[in-house]
Amino acid sequence: MKFYVCIKMVPDVYAPIQIKDGELIMDADRMVLNAYDASAVEEALVLKEEHGGEVEVVCIGPSKASETIRKALAMGADKGVHIQTTGEEEYDSGSYARVLAAYFGDKEFDVLSLGKQSQDTDSGLTGSMVAELLDLPYATNAVGLKADGSTITVKRQGDAGQEMIDLPTPCVVTCSNDMNEPRIPNLKGIMASKRKPVDTIELSALGVDESELSAKTKVLSYEEKPAREAGKKYEGEPDEVAREVAQLLDSEANVL
Amino acid sequence: MSTLLTHIAITDGKIKRSSLEVLSRCKELADANGHTVEAVVIDANASSYTDDIQKYGATKIYTVEDPVFKNHMNTPMLKALVNVMNEVQPSLFAFASTESTKDILGALAANQGAAVLADVSSFELTDGGIKAKRPVMAAKIMSNNEAKGDKVIVSVRSGSYDLAENPVDAEVASISFSMSDDEMKATLKEIISASGDTIDLNEAEAIVAAGRGVKDEEAKNLISELAGLLNAGIGASRALTEAGVYDPSLQIGQTGKVVSPQLYIAVGISGAIQHVAGMANSKVIVAINKDPDAPIFEIADYGIVGDLYKVLPPFIEEIKKIKS
Repeated sequence: MKFYVCIKMVPDVYAPIQIKDGELIMDADRMVLNAYDASAVEEALVLKEEHGGEVEVVCIGPSKASETIRKALAMGADKGVHIQTTGEEEYDSGSYARVLAAYFGDKEFDVLSLGKQSQDTDSGLTGSMVAELLDLPYATNAVGLKADGSTITVKRQGDAGQEMIDLPTPCVVTCSNDMNEPRIPNLKGIMASKRKPVDTIELSALGVDESELSAKTKVLSYEEKPAREAGKKYEGEPDEVAREVAQLLDSEANVL
Repeated sequence: MSTLLTHIAITDGKIKRSSLEVLSRCKELADANGHTVEAVVIDANASSYTDDIQKYGATKIYTVEDPVFKNHMNTPMLKALVNVMNEVQPSLFAFASTESTKDILGALAANQGAAVLADVSSFELTDGGIKAKRPVMAAKIMSNNEAKGDKVIVSVRSGSYDLAENPVDAEVASISFSMSDDEMKATLKEIISASGDTIDLNEAEAIVAAGRGVKDEEAKNLISELAGLLNAGIGASRALTEAGVYDPSLQIGQTGKVVSPQLYIAVGISGAIQHVAGMANSKVIVAINKDPDAPIFEIADYGIVGDLYKVLPPFIEEIKKIKS
């Protein structure tokens, strides 16, 4: 089976972040593989181990994004594609989806997967956009994936419970990080990743019109979230503090 | 004058309160800016909901009714929404942010060439679009965004706006829909339901959430008893859903559900940022944890330092007394 996994380099959300004049200031060295995409890579590797085939990762980003591609290769992906940008572009989910749709337009594959969202923006739009632009069946928020011939069975988390959905291939699946625990590359994987092929493609070679890529949405500024003030901590005899807090929920907070 | 259209989501035969919150907000914006506010309900029994929808001010309600909408599937939902957008031509199409919405929002925007902002916590109209705030970076930071264009789509976090009744006599219009089997790109095989009587966490006024400290049946029973008493939904941290103690659909956090009830009682939850990202907008937070340094206490209005087995029974008894 042929798996393509779209991956993204994102800032580490656990790194310290500051805001200055409405802009995010963060440690430029702490860029990581989007955690949800890592789950998509892991799931593709597991299915490849079961059914054979090839896992190829595709990443849109500036030259530094090659580190993210190497991470996926070190996990076990076979090949990488780096669609290079300058890093100065103001792209939104729609712009990324257009680039991916242009790249995949003439490709053959069974499953095109990606994380259900990016851990920095949490928008969760790109996956279904790509599926729509390519006119492919899709499922989002997958927490389980099985392959059986030309059918992919997706377990997805919906509103009312988990839904088991059969998709014919080729299809698009977006993955939750509840799906698996992505493997941590070992030394052998890291060494092997250096010899694996990575194709570099200029954005212009995809024939996408710059005007099609202009973002319809943009971030104007960032601001601190109004901090939630810590309330009171009650320590002491469990009986007493439990009763006291229950009373306060009724008389002070008015929520009972 | 343009049309602000609200999508009214139905789950398990009930209107999602969060959709009515979004409709209430659209009504407020329409009144302030001289626009019309309309609503659309897409369901196997769509027409049965129009009386309830018109209480919130939609002057025209579109229904799309077909048995295929009995369960959520993205292909028919997307087709219906495309039909609706083509017919109504709204300048703004607003959704409550639910799992079903997240499943189609990007596809709808791509189909319509529309600007889209997902999961916003507030929004307002501008010349030619909207401005909106969204939590980003694991909900540690707020971003101010704009979306521009003649078609703008937005989804709004539950609990962002209060319900406001504005009863009107709405015109009801049905939008035709048909779909052949071969248009269905995917097949729904099965729905694995958490349990029939679980309260929807997105809609719940109160939530009792269990974390790693909840290890055995005794603790689970205490959680159930407290939730029953408060008519609360039961939620869980990722650690517990992964351990199989609670159903994955009950997970609250960045990965799971994002909730904003009036009362959130975190039992045995340490307060990792992924969990906090899903519940920090709750109005009143109570934390019960035996570790006095647990980060959950930094955001809790009422923190009880203690063993849940010792704290919950008297807590439950006292609430029983207050309620009676």
